[in-house]
Amino acid sequence: MQLAIENVSKRYGRGNWALRNFTLQLGPGVLGLLGPNGAGKTTLMSILATITRATDGHVRWNGTDIASNPDGLRATLGYLPQDFGVYPNLNAVEFLEYLAAVKGLDAPASKRRIDELLNLVNLADVRKRPLGGYSGGMKQRVGIAQALLNDPQLLIVDEPTAGLDPEERVRFRNLLSELSGERIIILSTHIVSDVEATATDIALISQGTLVAHASPEELLRRVEGKVWEWVIPSADLNAARQRYLISNTARRSDGVHARVLGEKPPDGAQPLTANLEDAYLFCLTKYRAGTVSPSIEAGVVA
Amino acid sequence: MNSARVLYHMVRADFLERLRRYSFLLTLAGALWVAYAVATEEVWIVVGNGYRGVYNSAWIGALMAICCSTFLSLAGFYIVKNSVQRDTDTRVGQILAATPMRKDFYTIAKTLSNFAVLACMVGILMVAAVAMQLMRAEAHSFSLWKLWAPFIFFALPTMLLAASAAVLFETLPLLRGGVGNIVYFFVWTAALALGVTGLDDPTGLQLLYRSSRQTLHAIDPTDNNNFHFSLTIGGEHAVRTFPWNGIDWTTNVLLIRLGWIAVAVAIAYTATIFFHRFDPARSWFKRRALSAVTPPASAVQESAPSHNLSAAHLSPMPQPRSGIPFFRIVAAELRLMLKGKRWWWYLVAAGLAIACIFAPFDAARGGVLVAAWLWPIFVWSPMGSRETRHATESLIFSSPRALSRQLPAIWSAGVLVALFAAGGVGVRLLINGDHHGLAAWFGGAVFIPTLALALGVLTGGSKAFEALYIIWWYMGPAHHIPGIDFMGTTPASSSPVPYLIATVLLLAAAYWRRRTRMAYA
Repeated sequence: MQLAIENVSKRYGRGNWALRNFTLQLGPGVLGLLGPNGAGKTTLMSILATITRATDGHVRWNGTDIASNPDGLRATLGYLPQDFGVYPNLNAVEFLEYLAAVKGLDAPASKRRIDELLNLVNLADVRKRPLGGYSGGMKQRVGIAQALLNDPQLLIVDEPTAGLDPEERVRFRNLLSELSGERIIILSTHIVSDVEATATDIALISQGTLVAHASPEELLRRVEGKVWEWVIPSADLNAARQRYLISNTARRSDGVHARVLGEKPPDGAQPLTANLEDAYLFCLTKYRAGTVSPSIEAGVVA
Repeated sequence: MNSARVLYHMVRADFLERLRRYSFLLTLAGALWVAYAVATEEVWIVVGNGYRGVYNSAWIGALMAICCSTFLSLAGFYIVKNSVQRDTDTRVGQILAATPMRKDFYTIAKTLSNFAVLACMVGILMVAAVAMQLMRAEAHSFSLWKLWAPFIFFALPTMLLAASAAVLFETLPLLRGGVGNIVYFFVWTAALALGVTGLDDPTGLQLLYRSSRQTLHAIDPTDNNNFHFSLTIGGEHAVRTFPWNGIDWTTNVLLIRLGWIAVAVAIAYTATIFFHRFDPARSWFKRRALSAVTPPASAVQESAPSHNLSAAHLSPMPQPRSGIPFFRIVAAELRLMLKGKRWWWYLVAAGLAIACIFAPFDAARGGVLVAAWLWPIFVWSPMGSRETRHATESLIFSSPRALSRQLPAIWSAGVLVALFAAGGVGVRLLINGDHHGLAAWFGGAVFIPTLALALGVLTGGSKAFEALYIIWWYMGPAHHIPGIDFMGTTPASSSPVPYLIATVLLLAAAYWRRRTRMAYA
């Protein structure tokens, strides 16, 4: 099972490039696709889900170009788009039955699967209620259920935890971890904690370009010894922001505790254990400053 | 910020939003087509015994203005009846609702913005009128006042009426959707009929009638009895001309036109009463959907989480089969089409279907069939646009063979609805051995859903089909007019061949358009 993204670029009309020469090889596991808003994550997801066509480059599913055989991928694809709708007059069962028919799934097997999925996403007790009356989080869970209808080998989820309450968010993270055995899961998000909890691999994307592809441990290693806690008076905070990359602040009785990222610590700063958010910010900042070569970073783990 | 400034910015933002859409270009193209049709005498006014006015400034201005106030007041309504809905869809409405915006400001702003769009079309025809007089050169004197006054006093008030009616319809829960599209057609027909009864109608037809009759009477007194006046599309052209110098815009005439402007303002203010200010609790349809099927206690509660289930409990799924029976997808589409219809809808549909079987044959073919194929209009109208409207495209387009199976399944479901609705007539035609009638009936059964599907896919909405179908239905089958009777309601109805050919072409257009929307077929 392999998904190969080879020099994929996407340009909308004559406008800006949303993706440029994006290359990535994926095997079973959870890939966390992290990037700021407008980085090109959703464009990449749409290309992989056969919704939109790349301007340049190829995507190969088990060696076959999806442009020549899109249905080969679609048959085994589960896709949860960032923005999707539902038919308000149908209930959850009817909606999933409809999508199962469109996906060409076997009727008795899909009926059983729908029951199980509705239990899994906690919608069993509202299964007969029209989707028009569902809250945003409940609709999102219907979206998760439809993505799992065909037991996909490639599961693409774009901002899946948007609109979920903290409890459901944790449940969804656990679900992704459980599903990750013999399938490829691509989780696109800008919420670092979602990736931290589930991803076996992380791809950082910015301005349509792959900034880094590494394991979480490798990314953390890269920022090790570069995170500091610096206690400063409140009045000095703005000046400190001008000089250092500060990822977080907390006001305490002795002043502001600033989390500083940098090669060298400010005077009096104490070292801290790095987390993935630090690594994310560090890599992106260095990339924007032009001090990280995407090709080298991308090659670290791939 | 003063009130005028608030109103100005509300109108401006809404107008600019529409101005920058491709649909606005289509609107302007439609206006240009009307201008062309008038210039080439495809549309003309015949008065008395085969007279028309000399193409001087007054006659050209009146003719084009009347075209605006009649045709564009119908088409224009459908074009602009989406401004409140757009604010709902884009959720801009919720932002506006959280501001100190007054409800009457909102409805007046929407009316003015609608009016601005329609006034652009009128403006194009005003310029076209100048070009038309110069090109035809039938009269040498040129008067901009005589040319444009009918636009100002006939067309613009009518456009304001259509603009305010569109806002009122959008704020009334019952008229917000497809029902409103149909109701407006009959309101528009009734408004035109006012002129026939001798009253001053909103379009100005009656004023033009009186003025031209008076002028013609002075020239040809014999023509006074059974005076004929009609706005005509196509047909034989008038052979005689008479000079007409325009309407005398007296205070009385202007007051009549001002009266219609007042009616338009009153309609816009009436809309304020019904405007829901984007409060979901005041959304009639949502309330109905919730109350109809939801136990009150659980209506607002999220489902309780359970913790003993995991992905490990999921049954394995066999891979999708390419040979899944097509009827399953058709059945799924059919269920989607019919879901949400109320019991009385089914009752009427069943009554009409039964009447198609048991009513006297001529009545079944001529009257019941016409009704039976009008009743499912809202079943057909979302065909092809449902995925866009409900944002399910990405879910469906990422499914295997979505183009080659789902689109034909939608079409098949639509045809099945037509066959169920009026199958009795088809069976009786078959039993009677009326093969021509059967072919005409079958032509209608496939043409109607195909038209719905194609227009849905091409326009991304249901309104185009609803508007076109009701007008065509009224002009053709309802009046049994040969040539445009696509249902074959009488033995003299037109041949089904053109409709079968149109069906194939429309299907091809729908397939092509859907194909271009998908990255891979």
